[in-house]
Amino acid sequence: MKGYHLGELEELVLLIVGILNQEAYGVSVVEEIKGQTGRKVNISAIHTVLNRLEEKGLLTSAMGGATEERGGRRKRLFSLSASGRAAINEVKEVRNRLYDQLPPLALDFSHG
Amino acid sequence: MDKNRTYYPPKLADRFLEFYCLPELLEQIQGDAYEIFYMDLEEKGLAYARWRYIFHVFSFFKWRNISLSKFINQKSNQGAMVRSYFKIGWRNILKQKGTTFISVFGLSCAVGCCIVAYLFIANIWFKGLNQPYKDEIYQLVYTAEEADGPITYGTVAEPIAELIPENLNQVKNQTQVLLEFPLLIHNNESFYQRSLFVDPSYMEMFEYRMDFGYPGALEETDQVILTKQLSEKLFGDKHPIGQELALVVNGEERLYKVGGVMADLKDMVMFTFDLLVNVESHPGIKPDIPLKDAWSRELWTFIQVEEEADMARIESEMASFTLMQNQINPDKPYVKMSLIAYPDIIYNVGKIQRGVRDFLGIGPQILLGTIGLFILLLAVFNYINLSVLMASKRLKEIGVRKVIGSKREQLIFQFLSENLLICFFAIFLGCLMAGFIFLPGFNEIASKNLQIDLFRDKNIWIFLGGMLLAITLISGLYPATYLSSFKPISILKGNQKIGSKSVFTSVLLAFQFTLAIISMVAGIAFVQTNYINSQRDWGYSSADKIIVNVPESKDYFPLKNKLSALSTVMEISGSQDYVGNWIRDKEVFLRDEKYEVDFLTAEANYPEMMDLELREGRMFNSDLITDTQESILVNQTFLDRLGLDFPYEGEVTIDSADYHVVGVVDDFHTTFFSNGIEPMVIRASPDTTFNFLTLKMNPGSAEGSMEAVKKIWHETVPRGLFEGKLQTEVFEREIADVNGITKLILFSATLSVVLALLGLFGLVSLNMAAHIKDYCIRKVFGANVGDLSKKLLKRYVIIWGVAAVIGTVVSSFLISSFLDSFFAFHSGVGIVPIGFSLLILFGLIFGTVASQTWKVIKANPAVILKSE
Repeated sequence: MKGYHLGELEELVLLIVGILNQEAYGVSVVEEIKGQTGRKVNISAIHTVLNRLEEKGLLTSAMGGATEERGGRRKRLFSLSASGRAAINEVKEVRNRLYDQLPPLALDFSHG
Repeated sequence: MDKNRTYYPPKLADRFLEFYCLPELLEQIQGDAYEIFYMDLEEKGLAYARWRYIFHVFSFFKWRNISLSKFINQKSNQGAMVRSYFKIGWRNILKQKGTTFISVFGLSCAVGCCIVAYLFIANIWFKGLNQPYKDEIYQLVYTAEEADGPITYGTVAEPIAELIPENLNQVKNQTQVLLEFPLLIHNNESFYQRSLFVDPSYMEMFEYRMDFGYPGALEETDQVILTKQLSEKLFGDKHPIGQELALVVNGEERLYKVGGVMADLKDMVMFTFDLLVNVESHPGIKPDIPLKDAWSRELWTFIQVEEEADMARIESEMASFTLMQNQINPDKPYVKMSLIAYPDIIYNVGKIQRGVRDFLGIGPQILLGTIGLFILLLAVFNYINLSVLMASKRLKEIGVRKVIGSKREQLIFQFLSENLLICFFAIFLGCLMAGFIFLPGFNEIASKNLQIDLFRDKNIWIFLGGMLLAITLISGLYPATYLSSFKPISILKGNQKIGSKSVFTSVLLAFQFTLAIISMVAGIAFVQTNYINSQRDWGYSSADKIIVNVPESKDYFPLKNKLSALSTVMEISGSQDYVGNWIRDKEVFLRDEKYEVDFLTAEANYPEMMDLELREGRMFNSDLITDTQESILVNQTFLDRLGLDFPYEGEVTIDSADYHVVGVVDDFHTTFFSNGIEPMVIRASPDTTFNFLTLKMNPGSAEGSMEAVKKIWHETVPRGLFEGKLQTEVFEREIADVNGITKLILFSATLSVVLALLGLFGLVSLNMAAHIKDYCIRKVFGANVGDLSKKLLKRYVIIWGVAAVIGTVVSSFLISSFLDSFFAFHSGVGIVPIGFSLLILFGLIFGTVASQTWKVIKANPAVILKSE
């Protein structure tokens, strides 16, 4: 299988969008990443990643939710598509499989 | 949230975001930015929030967010399209080799001619501007009040140079430049050479590439720097450095060593010279001469200022020089001194007396420019006509493209890209043609040294680029817009008529024929004038005469005596100037009116010996003392111009002495036929010394005696340059010049006729290919050779007729004034040039059409009509 080649930030954003579940848009993703990982990410970088993920078909989006603090502008709300979820699963599986193959730390002296 | 009403994100940044952002993305991006702004406003205050907003606006300024990216993306989507345009263009070119050849050949000839014309003109206007310090160098000039108003002179008093370092600030470097023609002696051979006497710093201010030696060689006063040409002339293959030569300036001889040799200057320098000499070694520049004499001697002076120097200040500082000059030399006061920037020198030609450049030669520039333009127009018209006609084969392609959804712009682009390809080839070939054929030929005719220097001359790139663009657009725009305007439905139904019969094509063709006629008339008129002038009576007998120069008056009598002892010399006579060269002017007064006339002073036997034709009165009589004191001869023009009749009893006053007119001679040509005959006074001078000796030799012995004369001359004048020549050869240089121009015009006439005919050939043959069935059907129904030729020829004969009328009118005006600018005596544009050119053109048109008619005549209708 071809596999999904996700960048580190892409993977993170994908997960966050999944977590936010219907409430994911630029600012909320930035906030969530900050809240969950303590990492400050620039809004424009998030926009780039969101758009790219949508182009790859891992996210879908719809307009909605105008608020006053946005000057009456609508948000673009992102949600995970089926292949987005599949991508997360696959990435996780690969991670786990690789992790499981790590030799136990410091106890194995056969490979000195 | 109350703050929301009161505070807004920075307006400018917001507007910038709206300006660049893709419309689809704008809402979400701006929304997010606003949201963050208000969040920041709550948390950290207004200033921070604003700053962050601006930061975000810039961080969103990414390629994919910019609305331009969409535009470019769409176009780059068409990158493949552009490639396909060129691919199709290339295939079309290959498919139509014949017409492509005609177009490319014509255009490249035209480009070649234009390059030559451009280089010639650029050589005049951009000469010397490749100097690295050109913007820092200024020439000192002064203005003086003369009788005719203020006049600016390019030379300044010589001592000013010494005062510059003390009086002018911000001057880095300075040099004097003095042009002389000293006699150069090397290995017992002597030449007059253009020498520049300069300060050593000249070589720092102006940069020259050296072949041998180093630019600082002039620091030594006994060293000179030669040009490559002079070094090759003097020393041939020998290593030039250290070779010795002598210069004779003001009668003083000095020995010099060669300290350097410059690389070929290629005629691209402001100063023309053969060698550079240190000005201190000039015998005229002596420190101990009286102050007044030093100040009245003038030469060119240049300064190099520091970067960003205040020019107004330097000019005001020069006022001290003006003061000093006016104190020392009150009879010749300066009004003011000023500076002329080195690059502006060329624009001041004519405004400045005694400047570095005093001659622009507008005439040849116009001539060459016109030729270039003529040929270019011919070639471009060919191309327009042919490409419209060629497109008739591609009508279906245009139709299908349009039906599939091509926009008109895309079709135009398709045609223009083909054009660009053709023009690119044409420019490339044109460069080759210019470099290998046209320029060498032109250089020989014009004794110039023009070259295409693609590596160092960036102007030529601009010129070629401009040419490419201009030709592409001029030649391509009409066909492209015309062809793309067709309605697909009429094309596909087969109703669209195109090309050969269009009025536009006929107009262009008529214009081409007109140009061909004009250039042919010019060529033939020139040849005719040359022929007539070569047969023209010079007004005296030039046979069997030798003129020799007398460099110094002390040599005059020894030379005269020794030469008259030569057995072949029949008679000898001295003269101030000689017939066949410029004669100096003099003011004469007649009835208190002033006239400017040529004034020839000679021995009493000179007019008779020159075989001038006596019209009335008598020649001088050597035995009459009064003849050498108060008698003059005049020419017929003198009488006509001054309104006199012979015998004229009044007196002519010259230099406040009165003279009687004793005889009238027929007009004779003392200068070449480019100049008219001026009124002339010949005065017999009592036995003094003259500048020239004219020897009358035994019939037929002049040429053979030249060696003997030269030998005697060198024995008498050991150090001097023998400039003897036969009287028959006095116009040799002028004749060579005129022959050169004739060649140039004949060449361009030939080229324009060839181009016009190639265009015609292309038109006729394409027309024929399209209508061959038509003609075959006519043949089947019994049309004979006459009918077919008439049918084919009719249109072109009409066009020829129109062109003949226009061409005759235009050329009789244009070419007459053109001839006037070259000759005072010419044949004019008569029946001969016009008749000949019309006939030649008609014959060629007939031949071209006939060659195509022949195709129809030979064609077998059965074969052609059967094929589909």
